[in-house]
Amino acid sequence: MSPRDPATQLPLTPAVLHILLALTGGERHGYAIAAEVEETTSGSVRMGPGTLYGSIQRMLDAGLIEEVSRKRPREDDERRRYYRLTGFGQRVLELEVQRLDRVVRVAKRKHVLGDAGAV
Amino acid sequence: MRRLSYERAYAAALRLLPDAFRERFADEMIDFAARRIDRARRRGPIAALIERVRLAGDLGTTICREWFAEWKQSDTDSPPTDNMDNFLQDVRFGVRSLARRPGFSIIAAVTIALGIGANTAIFSVVNAVLIRPLPYHDPDRLALIWGTQGKTGQQGVVYADYLDWRARSHSFAEFGAFRGQSVTLTGGESPERLIGDFVSSSFLRVIDLKVSQGRAFTDAETEVATKAPVAIVTYEAWQTRFGGDRNMLGKPLTLNGTTFTVVGITAPHPQVPLGAPDVMVPIGYYPNAHGLDRGVRGILVAARLKPGVSFDAAQRDLATIMKQLEQEYPATNASTGAEIISLREYLVGNVRESLLIILAAVAVVLLIACANVANLQLARGAARARELSVRAALGAGRRRLAQQLLTESVLLSLVGGILGIALALALRKGLATLIAPQLPIDEPDIRLDLPVMLFALGTSMVTGLLFGIAPAWKASRTDITEMLRSRIGGGVRHGITRSVLVVVQLAFSLVLLATAGLLTRSLQALQSVDPGFDGRNLLTAQFRLPATRYNSPEKITEMFERTTAELRSIPGVEAAALVRASPLSQNGESYPVLFEGEKPVKTGDAPMIQINSVTPGYFATMRIPIVSGRDLSATDRGDAPHVIVVNKSFAERTWPGQTAIGKRIQFGEEGLWTIVGVVGDTKHYTLNEPQLLQGYVAHAQRPQIFTSIVVRTKGNPTDYARAVREAVWRVDRDQPIWRFRSMEQDLSGVVQSKKTMMWLTGLFALVALVVAVVGVYGVLSYTVAQRTQEVGIRIALGADAGRVRRMVIGDGLRLVAVALVVGLVLSLGASRFLRNQLFGIAATDTLTFVAVTAVLGVVALLACYIPARRASRVDPLVALRMD
Repeated sequence: MSPRDPATQLPLTPAVLHILLALTGGERHGYAIAAEVEETTSGSVRMGPGTLYGSIQRMLDAGLIEEVSRKRPREDDERRRYYRLTGFGQRVLELEVQRLDRVVRVAKRKHVLGDAGAV
Repeated sequence: MRRLSYERAYAAALRLLPDAFRERFADEMIDFAARRIDRARRRGPIAALIERVRLAGDLGTTICREWFAEWKQSDTDSPPTDNMDNFLQDVRFGVRSLARRPGFSIIAAVTIALGIGANTAIFSVVNAVLIRPLPYHDPDRLALIWGTQGKTGQQGVVYADYLDWRARSHSFAEFGAFRGQSVTLTGGESPERLIGDFVSSSFLRVIDLKVSQGRAFTDAETEVATKAPVAIVTYEAWQTRFGGDRNMLGKPLTLNGTTFTVVGITAPHPQVPLGAPDVMVPIGYYPNAHGLDRGVRGILVAARLKPGVSFDAAQRDLATIMKQLEQEYPATNASTGAEIISLREYLVGNVRESLLIILAAVAVVLLIACANVANLQLARGAARARELSVRAALGAGRRRLAQQLLTESVLLSLVGGILGIALALALRKGLATLIAPQLPIDEPDIRLDLPVMLFALGTSMVTGLLFGIAPAWKASRTDITEMLRSRIGGGVRHGITRSVLVVVQLAFSLVLLATAGLLTRSLQALQSVDPGFDGRNLLTAQFRLPATRYNSPEKITEMFERTTAELRSIPGVEAAALVRASPLSQNGESYPVLFEGEKPVKTGDAPMIQINSVTPGYFATMRIPIVSGRDLSATDRGDAPHVIVVNKSFAERTWPGQTAIGKRIQFGEEGLWTIVGVVGDTKHYTLNEPQLLQGYVAHAQRPQIFTSIVVRTKGNPTDYARAVREAVWRVDRDQPIWRFRSMEQDLSGVVQSKKTMMWLTGLFALVALVVAVVGVYGVLSYTVAQRTQEVGIRIALGADAGRVRRMVIGDGLRLVAVALVVGLVLSLGASRFLRNQLFGIAATDTLTFVAVTAVLGVVALLACYIPARRASRVDPLVALRMD
């Protein structure tokens, strides 16, 4: 079991998946990640600080994301750390989305949502 | 002082996170939470509140999750080794380590031994009474069946109903009829009273009575129609009453004037519900006239369920039969029913709760002891920090270190456990004399058997884990480099854990204090209940006339009149009378009462009146005040109009605002009785009963062969027992008399079980208080020692002694305040379980709670004062020179 085999990371928890998605738009700090996730999901995924940073900790350990060392913009709070996707994180995200896509396709074929509700 | 805001509390709670995680994310989390709350606040106060609750929940789960992750991580840190080897090494190491610190080890082991000893002792009682099977064959199928009348339960059973149950029910393997009653044995040198049981042959099968010699009764011998004069003597009666006579079988016994032949002797210690008798005879000889007629509740019934039948099903079965009987015999069976209760429930139902409360109380004592030892361990842990750091530096994993410390704690608690078992053995006798009289089982076998031993050992293990876990955890969190660098080290961080442990101790002490306080106040209330008569210098005794000789009302009346005259002639006797059922003797009879001129109501709905037959002079002897009307007098004889004296409650409740005198009532099957007087209320069965409605009639107008003597004496009443016996013997040389008791004995007897409970919980509370206060003292002394340098600097900079004292006391005060709040909440919760045990006060009795809070607060503050004083006397020169 190679630690760099992306398949071993699957399936992702909802929090990890959404954090990865948020980071596809570029570097973010913790609060911005939570805010973006909340916005893109219309408020249905709302992470508390503990959940957020707990996930970040584990994602750092797994090498899905990394901390960015860069000169912080002046006006920004100095406490903030910025994160970005690693190549490995990117691959994991792709694999997960493919997996979900397969699930959705099966669900559609079986008319889980009914014909009217089909997306 | 800064106000305690949510944000500050949140920031403080972040300290509970693992160090690495906290250092990395705490600031951002605080910032995050603040922004969330700000945003929510804009949507209104409710939204803000919800957000805060959410954040708290998020933090709580995060703390648990991160610690779990940490633990898993540390597990993989250390190289895999052989577990058994590790364990043995830990044990060896633990033994050596404990031996190196004998002072600590002895104090800790003794503390634990006290806790486990007390728990084991109490559990041995719980085991004997509540857990071990009753000493009967297949006891779970045994039941007692009572009659019910309307809403009144636990009545005797009608013999005819019992025969119908036997014939019609299908849930029972067997029914047995029995009725305990003393019998008079004559033919010896002096008449003797034996405890008799009038039984059916089926009863002997229900309880599975074993005979050691001879045989049990045959069915024909106990049927009313074919009864035969045979008797079974219990093994104990055979040994004590008959001297183990080898020719006992076949011997004639004259009981109540009838000659019975002994056909069997039981095995030793026969178990008979409601107490073992001396002798058993067929139920057909039950002496009370009409005792076995339809409509008379003469007997008691024990039964054995068929295998697999539930008590509910049996109850439904009985109810169906009682409905049928009600239709078949409307005259006698209207509103009557039957209720079944398992023998165990009947025997231990009412002590279960108090025993469990005592067990809970003693468990709390152990918990406090655990917290105390944990604190001791932490204090030691600070000193051992360097040792542990060295071991960690040499490659011991965190988990491995923690395991080693836990092993040490468990070893310690097992030593404590063994000492505790020894203590429990020593306590056993004392406990048995204190508790056994309050227990429903004759001579309960309180012993330290296997389950009790397992309990003690199990408790020891759990105890060791409990008090070992905090120090082990702390030790496993030790930062190696920091520890190796510093010379004292680790102290300040342990402060929080130690404070929490002290708060736990104080809070649980408060719970025990409140429990003891409530029980004390309740006992006071019970003891201050006015029984309605003057119990001082009052002697009571009982006797029963043999129905064969006293076979007419006139003979009974004449005997009673001569007896009272003889009693009054005893020097030193101020007054004497006879009463069918004296107060607190647990005898008594009640009837539905009917009023003249009113439509008869359904029997079950009529109020019940307790009827007592007395001789003239009873009220004067008992000092029961006559409220209005007249006393019963010698002229109220059998041929005179029937009169009755009722108590105040009956008069006032039946005819509020009117006089009861002249009204006529009916009870039982007998005719109308005219009320001629009203007397004060008295308590009859116990002190906390709701006031009974009572009526007194003259013995001469309602003669009964059973009666009690009440004698008011000058000086100690029990000194008169001999004189009273001789006075009765001057009237009838063959009359046995029994149950000589002073009324004060009976009065204290009814509160004895409450007293025992109060003393036990009080004792536990005291122990808890001492342990907890020592805990507070220890923690503050420790902090003071840690802060010596700081205090020295303060004093050098000009802080006066008073200020330093206040500072230290302030530290203690915060601990005590938190503990009091937590303790009060816990106590209020716990007091709900006491509700059934309390009398005359609410479970939330304000006085009790204020008082125990004050006591604990004051004592705890005193414990704070001594370290505070020491701090204020710190010599700055000495303190500053310290490294």
